[in-house]
Amino acid sequence: MRAQALGAGLVAQTQSSIPPFELHRPGSVAEVVALLAVHPEAVIAAGCTDLTAQLREGRVPRDLISVRRVPDLQQVRHDGGVLRIGAGLTHHEGSRHPLLQATLPSLAAAWADIATVRIRYSATIGGNLLARRFRYEMPVLLGALEADLELAGATEPRRPVDWLWGGGDHDGGDHDGSERDGAGAGAWRTRGLLTGVAIDTSDLLWFGYERSMRPTTTVALAIRVVDGSLRVTATIGSEYRRPVTVSTTADVAHPTDLDPGSVGRAVASRLPDDIEDRAGSAEYRRHLVAVLVGRLVATARDSGAQAPEGVTA
Amino acid sequence: MNETTIDFRLNGTPTEVTVPTNRLLADLLREDLRCHGVRSSCERGVCGACTVLVDDLPVASCSTFAFDVDGASVETVEGLAAADGSLSPQQQAFAECGGFQCGFCTSGMLMLTTGLLRQNPCPKRADIRSWISSNTCRCTGYEMILESVERAAELGDGGAR
Repeated sequence: MRAQALGAGLVAQTQSSIPPFELHRPGSVAEVVALLAVHPEAVIAAGCTDLTAQLREGRVPRDLISVRRVPDLQQVRHDGGVLRIGAGLTHHEGSRHPLLQATLPSLAAAWADIATVRIRYSATIGGNLLARRFRYEMPVLLGALEADLELAGATEPRRPVDWLWGGGDHDGGDHDGSERDGAGAGAWRTRGLLTGVAIDTSDLLWFGYERSMRPTTTVALAIRVVDGSLRVTATIGSEYRRPVTVSTTADVAHPTDLDPGSVGRAVASRLPDDIEDRAGSAEYRRHLVAVLVGRLVATARDSGAQAPEGVTA
Repeated sequence: MNETTIDFRLNGTPTEVTVPTNRLLADLLREDLRCHGVRSSCERGVCGACTVLVDDLPVASCSTFAFDVDGASVETVEGLAAADGSLSPQQQAFAECGGFQCGFCTSGMLMLTTGLLRQNPCPKRADIRSWISSNTCRCTGYEMILESVERAAELGDGGAR
């Protein structure tokens, strides 16, 4: 079916034409924040691979702020045990960044598997998160890593990844979060501008990702040293429902002492009853999660993962 | 202001156009600049029929705004053949190996191949498979496409500018 958006021209050349908007092309985070203060309902655009689909699905922005020319959004830094990844990095740039590969190579490897070659050159980590599509994988990876979203100009400068989903369970939200936070003149102060994600690596022992059962079930898993024990945090993804993050603590000091089967069962038992989705019952998904978590823990156990310097395991 | 002026190189030729801000690169190339080898199909960045190279990287022109190529170098399938009409190595390889059936996906496949061979002149089959999996051939002639990319690499200079 061909649709015609008002004002887009007499003949739609595309399946659903994109409505006109005013374009802003700032060069710094401060300029973006200033623009958001004037245009609080503006849409933020980076790689546009998902945004163009949203626009064709009926989203009508009056103002569009392209952040492609904002160099601060392209940075990767590792200071004081915190890894910061700029929201404007494409999947290709981010996964191949030397600092990420040196600091958290398992995240780099998992990131390198996301999407197709062509999408990877355009799509950004920020867009992947803020599109709020259940099938996208960065919320799963970063959920297990307990990453924080860093938001410029917002009332709360840091939010956990779960904040993306709020109380709603809808798929396909806004690139900038305006719908979920309630569009309006003050809403942008709540959501701000996503400048990047921050991952605490100071107590991180191991991270891995299992996507062999995608899209039914994916599992990202991180092992941290907390008070001398190991905390296993897993985020469960699916094409059809929002990710779920659960943690369990194993009273052992080293990954070699972990029992994959018992950790898998412990994680699965903590999943909520509404874990069922179109791909399977709660029982089926718990079984899958136990198997996938067990595989990851076995890999961690065999990897010889060592506690970071200064962290007692 | 709902229009913007962009400067870019189209198949090596400096090009300046004023476009509506909501103009997509695929529509600019096909409708305004008559590059009819750029095919629009899924219009969701999934099928790859609209693939062009922007600064040597393959992008879905259906999901790229025209304003985003300001200052960039854009290449379409129209830029592959020599001025005298002789085929590029990639085109020659696709013709030799039957790397197309209905031909609709071929321009996207050729641009993907060009991008791949520029980065990796001697790709392994796994590399080729990874790249080609970005694009869809509804005739499912993938084996011949894989062979075509391998042949293009053999012919060398497959990613020549």
